[in-house]
Amino acid sequence: MTREEIINKVLNIFKEEFEIENPGLDDDLREVHEFDSIDAIELLREIEYFLDTELTQDEKKDAMEIRTINDICDYIMSLAKEDCGV
Amino acid sequence: MHRRVVITAGSAITPIGHLKKEIVYSLENGVSGVKKLRSDNLLSAYIHSDVFGTVDYEVEFDFTRKYRKTMGPVAFYACQVAKEVLEQSGLKQEFITSGRLGVAFGSTHGSPTVQREIYKNFFSGSKTKYASIGAVDYLKSMVHTTAVNITKMFGISGRVISSSTACTTSSQSIGFGYEMVKFGLQDAMLCGGADEYDTTTVAVFDNLLACSTGFNDTPHRTPRPFDADRDGLVVGEGAGAVLLEEYESAKKRGAIILAEIIGFGCNNNGGDLILPNVNGITQTLRIGLQDAGVRPEDVDFISAHATATKMGDVIEAKAIHAIYGEKSPYVTGLKGYMGHTMGSCGVIETLLTLYMMEQGFIAPTLNLENIDDRCAMIRHTTKLIEHPIRIATIQNFAFGGVNTCLIIKKFE
Repeated sequence: MTREEIINKVLNIFKEEFEIENPGLDDDLREVHEFDSIDAIELLREIEYFLDTELTQDEKKDAMEIRTINDICDYIMSLAKEDCGV
Repeated sequence: MHRRVVITAGSAITPIGHLKKEIVYSLENGVSGVKKLRSDNLLSAYIHSDVFGTVDYEVEFDFTRKYRKTMGPVAFYACQVAKEVLEQSGLKQEFITSGRLGVAFGSTHGSPTVQREIYKNFFSGSKTKYASIGAVDYLKSMVHTTAVNITKMFGISGRVISSSTACTTSSQSIGFGYEMVKFGLQDAMLCGGADEYDTTTVAVFDNLLACSTGFNDTPHRTPRPFDADRDGLVVGEGAGAVLLEEYESAKKRGAIILAEIIGFGCNNNGGDLILPNVNGITQTLRIGLQDAGVRPEDVDFISAHATATKMGDVIEAKAIHAIYGEKSPYVTGLKGYMGHTMGSCGVIETLLTLYMMEQGFIAPTLNLENIDDRCAMIRHTTKLIEHPIRIATIQNFAFGGVNTCLIIKKFE
């Protein structure tokens, strides 16, 4: 999956699930869009559905560093690489 | 320090209407909000009582996802009445978030609808479903979900009291809120209660043989408080909120004052958790009147708890007679119109009393056609009458032996 495809998927999740339309890719999600810890947990669930996988506790904790849409895409790409053994 | 406490706004979502004019119309025209029990594909097939006090009209909620994400159905009700009350009150945003306004609001269970979803996942045997239970599910379902969704939505940072005492939930909310303002701990309190449509509560009462089952084909004819043919209670849903303020501040800011709360009695029977207790209830009424500093003969109207159970109505009538004697005030069992709206009944019945106080009439007990001889020693309202209410009491009694008596006075 390309980065562009991942970005589009994430933006769609933000539109459908979080009612946040067209956020800037480098917007601080908490500061600009009031994205909170409840939303973060829900986002992880969406990522699990998207990747059809179960995140480990450590992987979930790593996700707590996420601040932007670009961070989310980096995170998903790193998970996808792990799954491929890369 | 004992300060005067006034009501400066009120709103309710009830089986007999939402807006004041709808509710007043229902009271004036004997409209019942009791309908056939909706199927929930779980318990309803096993419940013998097939009736429920139902909010069967659309309530328009306009909450953004930011707030909706921690709200189950009961919190929607709670936040809607809270929103209407704050808008009605005219309180400034600065005051609302100042810490001088607190919230006293509760419900019987929190959200049973959300709880059922959680437990379905618990018992599914599926690791994926089990893992899907999250913090947000707890926030939507927890017992104090109503109070804290209100504080979140409106930025209220004062005290929170979230009473959860079933039938006395919202009367305690009002009473404890009244005491917060009276004793100077808060300058205003948003008080009330809510309970969503739920068959769990119906099943509980049904198993205790306390529900009405004899009018399943004619729901509007039940419950029948104090009536010789009453056969039990009808569970209902609803929500209500009132804003209580310290009188001098309310007057200074030009608030519209709807009524004054002048007393609150609250005690416990100290015994059986189910059966009402005539001594305990009589004492509650006495404490309430003493707190208000009024004599029994000063009271014009009693909103009775009167759930239409066989024994409950008799015991309440005896307690009223013990306090008020032969010349009791007019007594109405307002649950005849709506059923027992559980955690919201105290605040809804207070508001209905307030509306009657304002309009100058007393509504009769709906479905009271033949007064039970054992309840006949008090003065029942059997037809709509034009009658001023200067001082009224609202009585509620709950499982666990919790008893309350609120005294309100027309503001002149």
